[in-house]
Amino acid sequence: MAKTATPPAPAPAAPRTIRELRLSRDGRRRRTPPPEGNPLREGLRLERVPDPHVMVIFGATGDLSHRKVFPALAQLWRTNLLPQDWMLVAVGRRPYDDAAFRKDIAASLAQWSRVPLEPEAERQFLERIVYHHGDFADDATYDRLVERLDAIDAEHATGGNRLFYLATQPSAFPEIVGEIGRCGLDHELHGGGWRRIIIEKPFGRDLESARRLNREVGRVFRETQVYRIDHYLGKETVRNLMVFRFGNGIFEPLWNRRYVDHVQITMAESIGVEERGSFYEETGATRDVLQNHLLQLLSLVAMEPPATFEADALRDEKVKVLRAVDQYDRAGVADNVVRGQYGPGWVAGQPVVGYRQEANVDPQSETETFVATRLFIDDWRWSGVPFYLRTGKRLPKRATEIAIQFKGVPHRLFEHTASDPQPNLLAIRIQPDEGILLRFGSKVPGLGLDIRTVNMDFTYGSAFATDAPDAYETLVLDAMLGDASLFTRADEVEAAWGTVTPIVDAWLDAPPPDFPNYPAGSWGPEAADDLIERDGRRWRRI
Amino acid sequence: MIPFGLGLDVKGGPVKMPPPVPGKPFLRWSSRTHSIAGVEAELARIWASISLTTPDEDGIPERRVAPRSSVMNLVVIAGKGEVGERAAAIVEGLTGRHPSRTLIVSSADPDGPAWLDAQVQAHCLLPAGGAAETCAELVYLTAGGETAQHHATVVAPLLIHDLPVTAWWPNEPSFESVQTRDLLTMADRVLVDGAAWSGDGLRHLAVMARLPAQYHVEIADFALLRQARWREAIASTFDRPAIQPFLRGIRGIEVEYATRDGTPGVSNVVRPLYHVAWLASRLGMTVEEPLVMADEPWVGYRATLRAGRRRVAVELRPIESSILRGTTLAVEILANRQSSRLRIEVTGQAEGVTVGATLDGRGMQPRRFLSPRKAEGQLLAETLEGVAADRISAGALTMAGAILGPGAGGAATAAAAQ
Repeated sequence: MAKTATPPAPAPAAPRTIRELRLSRDGRRRRTPPPEGNPLREGLRLERVPDPHVMVIFGATGDLSHRKVFPALAQLWRTNLLPQDWMLVAVGRRPYDDAAFRKDIAASLAQWSRVPLEPEAERQFLERIVYHHGDFADDATYDRLVERLDAIDAEHATGGNRLFYLATQPSAFPEIVGEIGRCGLDHELHGGGWRRIIIEKPFGRDLESARRLNREVGRVFRETQVYRIDHYLGKETVRNLMVFRFGNGIFEPLWNRRYVDHVQITMAESIGVEERGSFYEETGATRDVLQNHLLQLLSLVAMEPPATFEADALRDEKVKVLRAVDQYDRAGVADNVVRGQYGPGWVAGQPVVGYRQEANVDPQSETETFVATRLFIDDWRWSGVPFYLRTGKRLPKRATEIAIQFKGVPHRLFEHTASDPQPNLLAIRIQPDEGILLRFGSKVPGLGLDIRTVNMDFTYGSAFATDAPDAYETLVLDAMLGDASLFTRADEVEAAWGTVTPIVDAWLDAPPPDFPNYPAGSWGPEAADDLIERDGRRWRRI
Repeated sequence: MIPFGLGLDVKGGPVKMPPPVPGKPFLRWSSRTHSIAGVEAELARIWASISLTTPDEDGIPERRVAPRSSVMNLVVIAGKGEVGERAAAIVEGLTGRHPSRTLIVSSADPDGPAWLDAQVQAHCLLPAGGAAETCAELVYLTAGGETAQHHATVVAPLLIHDLPVTAWWPNEPSFESVQTRDLLTMADRVLVDGAAWSGDGLRHLAVMARLPAQYHVEIADFALLRQARWREAIASTFDRPAIQPFLRGIRGIEVEYATRDGTPGVSNVVRPLYHVAWLASRLGMTVEEPLVMADEPWVGYRATLRAGRRRVAVELRPIESSILRGTTLAVEILANRQSSRLRIEVTGQAEGVTVGATLDGRGMQPRRFLSPRKAEGQLLAETLEGVAADRISAGALTMAGAILGPGAGGAATAAAAQ
């Protein structure tokens, strides 16, 4: 028979059944099992020092960098939480040299440091800062930056790891991110060499622009590389809120529509717009605070327990809450949202001017400095429970608080008492005097049966050293360690804008507001009181 | 701190004082008594007394004392008086951070008649910003004669119920004595500093490793806590993707420690052993041959562990050095994987540790970790905060006990005795 007549040996059929799959495995050389992680890591979270890296701050000469970022880094340096092989490249438009910039930073540290640094530690810290002068719009700035970073890697063993920090005006974000992409500075390398970027708020000014910004960033960076800072999430009490809810067994069973009457979240500021008049004119309280801080607090209070304490599990739950928040139409905005603007008044015994008289503010300004809203979360846990949120400038004091007001007792047992027992309240104070307060009724000692409300008050200061880290220290360190739990994800930002955008849009179509409608030093316009009082409730006196 | 009896009214009571400085602890109350009932009465009197006032800025008395805030009972077994004073100074510094009822127990005059002397103090701290004061109670209990044999009976009635009890031995403990056992039954946590024990320290360590199982106590050893940076240095090296697979291929752990003259048995080896115990417990190793002292081919301690099918040789080598005896000088980890060889070396310096790795003869970039030595007070504060009390320490301690072997004093001490 001719050789050609031999039918070609049939190619072995690809294994299909489970048995075949198993048998086909047996034949192969046993592969090394995938790495199981590093068991030595366990329990070392607090001791963990980030990988060597170069941090690049854009907008390093700005106010935020000087007041917050550099002092936070200096504290991390002081407490040995930064790697020894660490360098910082400060990028700015002002013409400085390294020495002049370091001198400036030293002055800022003297003013803003939480705990002063030892002179030697400060010297070492400043030594690691170099200044890179250039315009953010100029390609050459970035080309030189690439060379400089490579040189630093070679000289300081920073391992190709880069942490970018955008502390500039938001308008510069897309440009800088685009340039980083153009130069390939975003590419992570095999065998180490991570690239991460921290972006400061605001993330857009409405849903549309937030999406656009996310898209621009997404073109260059993967979402896992992006760390959007909302500094509120770095605060001790906010993080404690999660511990309080999910580390204790007795509160979670009460944390739902069956026992909670309503929730109030207040963030009051006694200051005005200070020197930020022109910024504030474009922003207003709704965009500046409600969209991020207040809705973040709301989502932490209302979210379901995440399955794990990992960044994405946590943020999945927060996004679910934000998506469940009712979005208002025009009529809904008119009924459920109150805006205000402060006029002249007195704060802390000092006369202050009204918003329209502040520097860089339009005398006819229609920007709101106060906003109060009633939101509902449509899910199984919270349906029908109102969440009252308010924030404002030039209120009587600076205070941030979350109050969970529980329902009253179902049956009044103590009818003949002089005073009715008040419903229980759980207040979580975020600033000042961080702490937690539980209010309950107690019998007044004596022969009669009178009930008086008493407080069980826990203040951080009394149980722990008050030496809590600043939010920026927590957050910057987390970004260096690659832990994104306390940062906002793109979909979270968009979900929050989804709630806020209809509100700001509705105001554009509404008749001009009757501003100013509250005197500085008061708790906001009367309409804000009406908003809650028509439900038979009251704002908490803080 | 006021030493015993100096300038104190025997009856005692509120201490007159200038307006307190926020953030600085101050003595508010000091009185003296000679019985447990007396101490109980004094403690009650402190908080009931309406005369506990502070002059405000204008000198007008103002009552600002917050209700007693206690988060735990701290029992300090001081033995001798000066240890008690050192401990008291540290505890006072923690007033604001860990308000507690602290009982400092010391003994004197063991052959005399039975007596008890108690000095009751309240230390307070005014936090910044006009908030209420935080106060903590400190009771010095000095027992003489036979009373000194029954410390636990003195301590028990004075503990605040429902609050955890932490027992601290700033000095050498005697875990096997009857008094200590009685104290251990009421303690939730035990604090010691194994690096300060006499001899090689292994006899105490072997006994201590069994305490958690016997008494349901949690043990925090400052010697182990001080090694956190070493652990971080080692862990971070194994974070590197190229190195991580070697975790399953470790075949040797060697620790060099400082001794005066290079001989084992005299210097404390608790710290060197903890390095090994931590690694072994994290990596699930078992003990094949417990630790023994050897003089061939070199002088030191040796043990064999097992990780899966591999044997892991453990060596603790004394090195002549002027550094404090028992201090770890270097930890070396050897690992094989297929035909590759990895050597990790962590060396200690005054201000930190440096870790370097060599893979098949190629050196990798060394990394330096700073870790200034923590003072006793800081370690105490951190331990009390509960941050460091963890299953990692518990696992390391259990493993240390296992490495020492089942014999009461551990094989090593037995060998030392020969």
